[in-house]
Amino acid sequence: MYAVAEVVDESCVAHKGCRLCIMYCPEADTIRFDKEKKVAFVVEQRCKGCELCVVVCNAAKHNAIELVHR
Amino acid sequence: MGKEKIKINDEFYDIMPPEYQELVEEATYGKESRGWKDVGEAKELIEEHSLCAGCPESIAFRYVLACLPKPEDTVMVGSTGCTSLVFPHVAVHNIHSLFGNQNAIASGLKRTLALRFPEKVKDVVVLAGDGATVDIGLDMTLQSWFRQEKFTTICFDNELYANTGGQESGLMQKGFVGKMAPAGKKFDKVPLPEIARNSGCHYVAVMTVSKPNRVEKAIRNAILVAREIGPTYIQLYTPCILEIGKQMMEGLQEMRDSEGPGKRFEFKEYVSDEAKVFLDEMDAERKRKKKALRAARAK
Repeated sequence: MYAVAEVVDESCVAHKGCRLCIMYCPEADTIRFDKEKKVAFVVEQRCKGCELCVVVCNAAKHNAIELVHR
Repeated sequence: MGKEKIKINDEFYDIMPPEYQELVEEATYGKESRGWKDVGEAKELIEEHSLCAGCPESIAFRYVLACLPKPEDTVMVGSTGCTSLVFPHVAVHNIHSLFGNQNAIASGLKRTLALRFPEKVKDVVVLAGDGATVDIGLDMTLQSWFRQEKFTTICFDNELYANTGGQESGLMQKGFVGKMAPAGKKFDKVPLPEIARNSGCHYVAVMTVSKPNRVEKAIRNAILVAREIGPTYIQLYTPCILEIGKQMMEGLQEMRDSEGPGKRFEFKEYVSDEAKVFLDEMDAERKRKKKALRAARAK
């Protein structure tokens, strides 16, 4: 069982210009910006589940990312 | 390498890996204003790598690759260490050198490229860990600075030999007890930024990678100064979370904790007089261009 990050679309504030998770994710091309829906999304196959995005998102009080088990 | 060179022949397009197709279609080669703001929207020049989950070094790698001013005309020289695990997954020309040899190889490479492509500017960027830069390759590093070789040296400073289990390195802080350095370090961290400054580097910066815009500015400055004037040096703190006993999500906090006022990695920048004149001119030029663009848009 692996833990991967998942973005909750309703709470994501990427449309306001927030790029915290995209910026601090250590993996390349893993958290990306959906230009149509204006939210961030996680490419699950690339995610290593390090939880860094959850930490930065919660620190900014957006609480839009959670770890899920796959 | 221009973007034309990596284009796929139409007949073979469908059998190429999807990652390569994305690279051809979306990567930011040849884009003048490229920077960390492209990440998340354009294809990055780095692929899935084998560094640990949450490793700050891979954050640094992403920023460095996103901020190279001209990736298609850049050759990176790497050395043994965790960085050499990533170089096979990087879409920029790179050379793996023997442990410690990186600055000697870069010197030869830069001179050869200048002869082979006299009409083009080719950037050479050395990217190595602290063991290669400060312990094993200190001779080559210093000699290249004394000779005023025109390339950038970037050191990923994780303060120990992380790849082999945590032995003591020259940049380890005093008193730190590593997993394979049980007695603790007896002497101070080597002041390499100060040495670089006194050895003839024209642009020296020390920082952590917790602020991408700062990293971007430093890397651009260093590479542009190295093109025109002489050697430059950047030291980035990329803590090894495994060896200092942190959890995988604590790397960022560790960097933020060590960059406060008076801490080891407080932001420091040294610019020589010559480089300062050059960078000021560049800034003025950029502002003029922006103003002209805004005026054209207003019409």
